[in-house]
Amino acid sequence: MAKDTSFLEKSRQVEPPREAYKWIGKDMKRVEDPRLLAGKGIYLDDVQLPKMAHAAVLRSPHAHARILSVDTSKAKNLPGVILVMTGAEAAEVTGPTASFASPPCPQYCLAVERVRHVGEAVAAVVAQSRYLAEDAIDLIEVEYEELPVVVDPLEAIKSTGDAVLHPERGDSNVAIERTLRFGPVDEDFANADQVIERKLRWPRVGAVPLETCGAVASYDEGTGKFTIHANTSMYNYVGWLIAVSLNVPSHRVNIIPTLAGGSFGSKLFLHKVPTLAATLARASGRPVKFLEDRLDNLMNCDNHASDRVYNAKLAIKDGMMTGISFHVVDDYGAYLQFGYGTHGNALSQASGPYKLSSLEMNLVAVFTNKCQQGAYRGFGSEVMNFLVERLADAAIEELGDDPLEFRRRNFIKPEEFPYRIPTGNLYDSGDYPKVLDEAAELLDYPGWRKKQEAARKEGRYIGIGVATCQERSVFSATEFWFLNPDEAQGFTLTSSPEGVSVKIDPTGKAMVTLHAPFWGNSPETMATQILAEHLTMDPADIGISYSDTDSGLNGTGPGGSRYTVMIAGALTGAAGKIREKLLTVGGHMLEASVEDLELADGRVSVKGAPEHGKTIAEVALHAHYFRLSMPDDPLLTSGIDATHVYDHPLTTLPNGDRTDLGVFYPIMGHMCHMPVIEVDIETGKIEFLDYVAVHDCGTMVNPMTLKGHIRGGTASGIGTAMYEHFYYDEQGQLLNASFADYLIPTLHELPVDLRTGHVETLSPFTEFGIKGGGEGGRMGAPPALAAAVEDALRPFGVKIDELPLSPRRLRSLIRAAASSKV
Amino acid sequence: MKPSAFHYEKPSSLDGLLDVMGKHGEAARILAGGQSLVPMMNFRLATPEVLIDINGLSELDYIRQDGDSLSIGALTRHNVIYDSPLVAELSPLMAEAYKHVAHTTIRNRGTIGGNLSHADPSSELPAVCICLEGHMILRSKQGTREVPAGEFFLGALETAIQPGEFLAEIKIPVRKPGVGSAFEEVSPRRGDFATTAVAATLQIDGGICQTARIAHAAVADRPARIESAEAVLEGSALDKARINQAAEIAASETEPSLINYHGDADYKRDLLRALTKRALQRASENSVN
Amino acid sequence: MSSVTEIKQVRISLTVNGERHEHEVEPRRLLSDFLREDLGLTGTHVGCEHGVCGTCNIMLDGRTARACLLFAAQCDGAEIRTVESLGTVDKMHPIQEAFWEKHGLQCGFCTPGMLMSAAELLERNPEPSSEEIREAVSSNLCRCTGYQTIVEAVQDAATRIREQANG
Repeated sequence: MAKDTSFLEKSRQVEPPREAYKWIGKDMKRVEDPRLLAGKGIYLDDVQLPKMAHAAVLRSPHAHARILSVDTSKAKNLPGVILVMTGAEAAEVTGPTASFASPPCPQYCLAVERVRHVGEAVAAVVAQSRYLAEDAIDLIEVEYEELPVVVDPLEAIKSTGDAVLHPERGDSNVAIERTLRFGPVDEDFANADQVIERKLRWPRVGAVPLETCGAVASYDEGTGKFTIHANTSMYNYVGWLIAVSLNVPSHRVNIIPTLAGGSFGSKLFLHKVPTLAATLARASGRPVKFLEDRLDNLMNCDNHASDRVYNAKLAIKDGMMTGISFHVVDDYGAYLQFGYGTHGNALSQASGPYKLSSLEMNLVAVFTNKCQQGAYRGFGSEVMNFLVERLADAAIEELGDDPLEFRRRNFIKPEEFPYRIPTGNLYDSGDYPKVLDEAAELLDYPGWRKKQEAARKEGRYIGIGVATCQERSVFSATEFWFLNPDEAQGFTLTSSPEGVSVKIDPTGKAMVTLHAPFWGNSPETMATQILAEHLTMDPADIGISYSDTDSGLNGTGPGGSRYTVMIAGALTGAAGKIREKLLTVGGHMLEASVEDLELADGRVSVKGAPEHGKTIAEVALHAHYFRLSMPDDPLLTSGIDATHVYDHPLTTLPNGDRTDLGVFYPIMGHMCHMPVIEVDIETGKIEFLDYVAVHDCGTMVNPMTLKGHIRGGTASGIGTAMYEHFYYDEQGQLLNASFADYLIPTLHELPVDLRTGHVETLSPFTEFGIKGGGEGGRMGAPPALAAAVEDALRPFGVKIDELPLSPRRLRSLIRAAASSKV
Repeated sequence: MKPSAFHYEKPSSLDGLLDVMGKHGEAARILAGGQSLVPMMNFRLATPEVLIDINGLSELDYIRQDGDSLSIGALTRHNVIYDSPLVAELSPLMAEAYKHVAHTTIRNRGTIGGNLSHADPSSELPAVCICLEGHMILRSKQGTREVPAGEFFLGALETAIQPGEFLAEIKIPVRKPGVGSAFEEVSPRRGDFATTAVAATLQIDGGICQTARIAHAAVADRPARIESAEAVLEGSALDKARINQAAEIAASETEPSLINYHGDADYKRDLLRALTKRALQRASENSVN
Repeated sequence: MSSVTEIKQVRISLTVNGERHEHEVEPRRLLSDFLREDLGLTGTHVGCEHGVCGTCNIMLDGRTARACLLFAAQCDGAEIRTVESLGTVDKMHPIQEAFWEKHGLQCGFCTPGMLMSAAELLERNPEPSSEEIREAVSSNLCRCTGYQTIVEAVQDAATRIREQANG
């Protein structure tokens, strides 16, 4: 598409990037760490309330069944048991849990009438201890009538009758079928010199943080109010939906966040866990802790991710990629908490870093008898990266092209930004050739090619992977509704804002209240560095806390690599107000006009005469206690404080027929991953020889923590690519629901030294030009590893179309290739 | 995930152990290192009524040479064996296999006796004991009996230990001069139970293989020797072709029955071939020392 | 099965972080729950309750152990150390300082167990090779960092401890 620079005029950037910073861009040690290192961080399980009781749930052993009867009498009679509640009993007082699907797909914190996957909670027990609660669970007797089980997503398309999971939505397990076309698809394919086709399979994996989801809920009969401690995000954005489930007005629910021991998306918005804990607290009259155990988390936490079967085509004309068309079947499992958001998300960067003119998606989302999908680092876009890069690699192979040259040729050029891709989304900025060049140099790409050639002569199979792909950041919520069916199209323009509250106390210390939780990222460090930069303060003088929903401002929280950008926006707004007040009060103290003053090095002083000034502490003291010594001014109230809610920096509406989705994910990061691996062709095991990842996340606030995200994200991407997979059998039993069998990589499975590099192209739309960087590693590693393994096994002509790259799979491919040669 | 209730007994002597075992019969389970049993209890896959904690029985914690045998008390922690110079000297195969056993924290608690009594078919040590033709010393009120390793493992999580008996000691022959050994394993992650493992010893004299012992793990419901592959080696000069032939036999004549998502039968055959070849190559190389 | 009420409690006397404790515990009470709930030492976290993740690693008589695979009843006479024994926010242990400096943590949930694994290694082996560090760290799962900075932190901690000893 032609360059449309009018977007630049829409930029609401207040704080342009600077030449030099004092705190931004520094490897500052994290503010969060001391308490975490001392074992003093308060995670969910550390919340203890007087008279608190413990809950456990009975998990369904069947993948699909009607619940005919539940006999809780024996469980109720067990000493120490306070309450036993079935799904039917819970549904009398508590409605369905929050669902973002349209039409909604009702789901309850305890299954009602029917179980739809193994591990779904059927009944709950509240007891004096978790031990007793589990004892009572074993005494609950449930009579089930088994129903046909649907496991294969392609079979699910054909389901009818009893095999349909949600008959009220119609006699089918197809949740939605939708075709979207962007640009001249037919023309591009008709004019193509080559059409590359690939069938791809992306496996079901999960976020699986080390801390499970949990909530401690209490109900105050006097005020009729719930207090819920939970390790959820988005509590200040959509937390009121829990009140809706509980059938109370939203001011009767206060959600207090705890630290989250990792989320990676899986705690984006907890629905079942806090709703259940609150339901049990109200019914039992006791504060109740419900913390998933690892089995609950693996089988019933909604953190399974995209599970997709692709049939994809790429049109090539004169060596250039012109169009991509794909059919995708996505196995959403039993429910639809986030609707089809993962496909909306993927369309934000569906053409990768390449200059395509058209794109077509045919989506078939199906229900099966598996745990439902939730959010996991990438939220569907990591799969899109895999698809685009697999197609690019296939084209390179077919054209006999060079992996670097082909990419360079097809890249969007640095001077073409801001750039609109066929789906309508905008890429704000980038320098893809520079990222590629830096990666190639850091790796010594030519050197490794020589080593590869020499090794092959010795019968060793070294492979070098190249993946150049996108990390869209800073979501706007239109992606959650623009795929809705025509009759329920959606809303007017959506924001996903982020708030902050800042006050300077009378001694000059800053107290920042964040309206979103910590979930393993570095929100306190980010806020500290950014506010220190704005107010020229010492970071040691800045304290951070987290609001609850009673006091909270709108805050969407971390997710979609948005938090650093968004909190920078919120802090820029708040700091501007604080700065103005400091100068105003300082002006009165110094008897100088505001225009003649500046805030520098923690002092308000006269420009050009820094000795004539007051420290922030002096000004703050004056503002707090001596307001009336200053002239009357309605804006000059006692104290120094500010709140600011920052809206999404750039969103536009999708059009009615969805041939243009509008701008919804414009802050575009980019990366190049180059792993070097060796395949042991006799055992199929993969060994890392080197790994380079170069990312562009705009202005880096803290290079050290950004590097941490890149390495950690790459580790989970390696998990997805090589180790992890939820294996369901034909009966819908989850075969590997344990940490012994669900293979989270240990240190030995990862590169010894993952070398990183950074390129900074600055966003013209965000404060300081920051872009998000929380998900990139996981979004780059899978296509890079698929390419590396394919490269290593090139002598066998093996194609990598499916993950994980388990040794069993590689051996099977090598075996098939060897026998076909005979 | 909390265990169901149980009675706790902690005998302070071997006689005391036999007494409480007699008292509770099959309702009781012995708790040694607990690194396999306690996870099963937390999952409530094991729900013993009585748990007999033998961790106070230091008389079961030793490593010593008894003539031609290396004797290891059942309560000896994995890491003690892992770090033992005596084991490294007298049984290089066991020492090497230990490099594949779990992680250090697990090895701190886990015991060799607990591991062998648990009889996980994917565990390394049962295959080592089979390969080395070790013996299990079982004790009961009736006295002591020695069971050859080859008769000890009866199936997945099943052994020849009878009610009223416990595993007291593991006895393996000391490595003889001229015997080479090697342990090869592929596992999903390092430290996991094996996808497939192969242990091998070779006694070579004048370039001719006198004795060959090859055992597999994680291929069937119990570890076993691959005698047909041993047979083609014994009495032969060990060249590459002969080793490949043995490896091919190991792959083709073993019927993998322990199969799951980590390894189907074809993959386990692939591993038997590759690992047998590698184990034999290395065993023949280090037999000279 | 015998009913729960007949189960005899076990009297234990043990030292935790240098402090003597006497308690009556139900035999099945996991050490992780005993430490967290009965003693209020919530620094020890629980990740999987089947011994794989290492989040609950504590030191039992000088060696790491999974607290979720031990019954408190077994710990009569034991000397136990948890993350709370290392250092405080104001006075960190060199291992904690090194983890802070090297960004060896993100969500912090695996960190207490990681720190105990590092402490065990460095107490037994003050100058570990990077291979020895990797072996020790491989005992614990971390979902955030990719482990590389943890290895660097343990290396750095070894240096800090040596310097303190010499200094």
